Amino acid sequence: MLKDKIEKHLLEVQKPSRYIGGEVGSIIKDKSKIDVRFAFCFPDTYDIGMSHLGMKILYSLTNERENYWCERCFAPGEDFEAVMRENDIPLYALESLDPIKDFDFIGFTMQYELSYTNVINMLDLAGIPVFAKDRTAELTQIVIAGGPCVCNPEPLADFFDIFVLGEGEEVNLELMDLYAEMKKQGASRMDFLRKAAQIEGVYVPQFYSFTYKSDGTIEKLNASEGAPEVIRKRIIRDMDSSYYPKNFVVPFTEIVQDRASVEVLRGCIRGCRFCQAGFIYRPFREKHADTVVDQTKCLCENTGYDEVSLASLSTSDHSEIDPMLTKLLDYTVSEKINLSLPSLRVDNFSESLLEKIKRVRKSGLTFAAEGGTQRLRDVINKNVSEEEIMNTCRIAFEGGYSSVKLYFMMGLPTETDEDIVGIAELANRIIDLFYSIENRPKGRGVQISISCATFVPKPFTPFQFEPQDTREMIEHKQKLLLDSVKTKKVKVSYHNPDVSMLEVILAKGDRRLCKAVYTAWKMGCKFDSWEEYFHFDKWMEAFKECGIDTSFYANRRFEYDEILSWDHLDYLVSKEFLIRENKTAHQSKTTPNCRLRCSGCGVNKKVGRECF
Amino acid sequence: MIRVRATFEKCGRAKYISHLDLNRCMLRTFRRSRLPIWYTEGFNPHPYYSFALALSLGFESSCEILDFNLNEELPFDEIRDKLNAVMPEGMRIVKVAEQKQKITAIAKAEYSFSLVSDETDRLFATVQELIASPEILIEKKTKKGIKTVDIKPDMEILSCEKGDNSVNVSMYLPAGTQTNYNPTLFIEALKKATDIAFEPKNIRRIAILCADNSVFD
Repeated sequence: MLKDKIEKHLLEVQKPSRYIGGEVGSIIKDKSKIDVRFAFCFPDTYDIGMSHLGMKILYSLTNERENYWCERCFAPGEDFEAVMRENDIPLYALESLDPIKDFDFIGFTMQYELSYTNVINMLDLAGIPVFAKDRTAELTQIVIAGGPCVCNPEPLADFFDIFVLGEGEEVNLELMDLYAEMKKQGASRMDFLRKAAQIEGVYVPQFYSFTYKSDGTIEKLNASEGAPEVIRKRIIRDMDSSYYPKNFVVPFTEIVQDRASVEVLRGCIRGCRFCQAGFIYRPFREKHADTVVDQTKCLCENTGYDEVSLASLSTSDHSEIDPMLTKLLDYTVSEKINLSLPSLRVDNFSESLLEKIKRVRKSGLTFAAEGGTQRLRDVINKNVSEEEIMNTCRIAFEGGYSSVKLYFMMGLPTETDEDIVGIAELANRIIDLFYSIENRPKGRGVQISISCATFVPKPFTPFQFEPQDTREMIEHKQKLLLDSVKTKKVKVSYHNPDVSMLEVILAKGDRRLCKAVYTAWKMGCKFDSWEEYFHFDKWMEAFKECGIDTSFYANRRFEYDEILSWDHLDYLVSKEFLIRENKTAHQSKTTPNCRLRCSGCGVNKKVGRECF
Repeated sequence: MIRVRATFEKCGRAKYISHLDLNRCMLRTFRRSRLPIWYTEGFNPHPYYSFALALSLGFESSCEILDFNLNEELPFDEIRDKLNAVMPEGMRIVKVAEQKQKITAIAKAEYSFSLVSDETDRLFATVQELIASPEILIEKKTKKGIKTVDIKPDMEILSCEKGDNSVNVSMYLPAGTQTNYNPTLFIEALKKATDIAFEPKNIRRIAILCADNSVFD
């Protein structure tokens, strides 16, 4: 039995409870009564994957069906992977401890471009052929993926049988129903894929092929096997009646987001032009305040968590935010539960609510200003004015905070040296503000932390056409910012620009990149998002070996009329709208949020109802 | 405020729950049980509970001690059942009672373990030799660095038997607030004394005892 083999070596590795299951809330079924087995794989370690809300939703939802069994699977840490490879332990699922190669579905959630090599590594560790074309003709081992990265899945196309576009609550079950039925009929893998391709939201990449022009851009996409020309993402229409877990698997070891988490809303009204989530998760839909409160109580009681957080892209955009938080706080305070409120703007609350929130908020204050000048913030449609930033800082300082963290991006479209210097100047004005406040925290100086990421243009955003700054340009800007900061009260930190460059290549890449992803993995790349494992040189070598010009993807402006490798995927937002927004950005003009005025992104027409 | 002492088992997969993780795990178990747990009254109220002894990662136990406080009096069996209904797999409360003795009364613990080997006969002889030797020196990591300690005087062998493919040992080792020895020390000493390949298995704490060998209560 695999369990004995695993246990034999478990005490040799770090945090062994990650590899043996048995957590409270994990679901065990009798496999003789199961029709479809689904391995939900997260291409990173347990600590990170167990924090992912999407997995919790789909895990519980699938397991509500008596004859389907969804189990969890994560990438092992380096130490345990070595043990597994040495002792012929194939990658297994945590509930049954059965090898995932025997499962009907092996489903990955693709949250981040830098986890692509982990997918290949996990398939290899599982003993599943890495390339879709090499898998058995029988109906088993269907390797699928969902999540934000599949909005341009081409750099992964060779490894997957199916990509699921959009929200998985309904379509996953439809796929499993179809599978169960066809399995009974003795259908082949190909029969199943042909039928599956007819389900809305299901993209079977092997039924599509690209031809390219001599300049390297896409000439044409050809669909075969009766698969649709355009694949539209799926959405859940009603958040209140949509499935939400009543319980979570509660891990023993501490994970990144170790708390109950309740989704408040989907989509975002803001339309920040760099933000992929803001566009691919449209339309904006919210749960009623009472639903959120009920789900919070239910989860806290069943899991025993003493901390709950509200999940959304922008919680304060909920139409009933004030009564919702009041009700939630009544419950959480009386039950001694900590309520954490990420992505919250504190500028539009009543005084009394602010008092209550202040009591539960103990984390530091962060502000995503993104751009250093108002002009640049207008370009990216980050509708935050300096007045609002100052106002929030004032509230924070008066409430006892003495440090503020500011997030910026570097390399944004139209950015000039002036915008970079503007970051330092903004920090200086916040320092001045601190010392102008009478009742500021005494005995401590003010500390401003500036964190700079390199801008990564992403598909389905108005900036999808934009080139990324070259390394030289970024280095110049970094130096300029450091030179502009003249006080020790301001600390500047950067993300590694090499990481951002790899990110953009994989985010905007086409099918020709599959070979490079595979080659990079062969060269030893995995856990690329972990600083200690990131080998940029190996990646560059892989691209070179595969004849790929990285600047073609990273530093080239994609034309408006160019066929993009994600144009055949319909995420409801129209390309015309993205072009229009791109042009508006270059005029430094803003677009109001969806609640103030509809900007005609096209989602409401396709969904067949108004957003508000 | 009512002081309560629970005795619980930690077996099977639960042996991979580290001591640090066990704290978090119990906190959530208390919350799920909805028992009227007493919270501290400081700035940051939290349930008060403490484990008498830490258990090494990978060890099983049938006698772990957990002390906690309740706001109201409840039948001991009800407390036990409510906790057992929401405990993780491998963990089970066997008894809930009042706190009769002070934690400082703990002096030793009984352990049993198996040494699995293909050469049981030779291993058995070596183990007996080691037990009979005048001193068993081990290197113990302390805050001041590595120290050589003789564990022999504090070690009481209860049994040492040869099984089919293993040598099975049980012993008393000092435990509590003063000295804490763990069977791995003996196993390490054995590894140094022989080149016979063996694997320790089923290390288990059987009892927590007072100085006079009576069970801590």
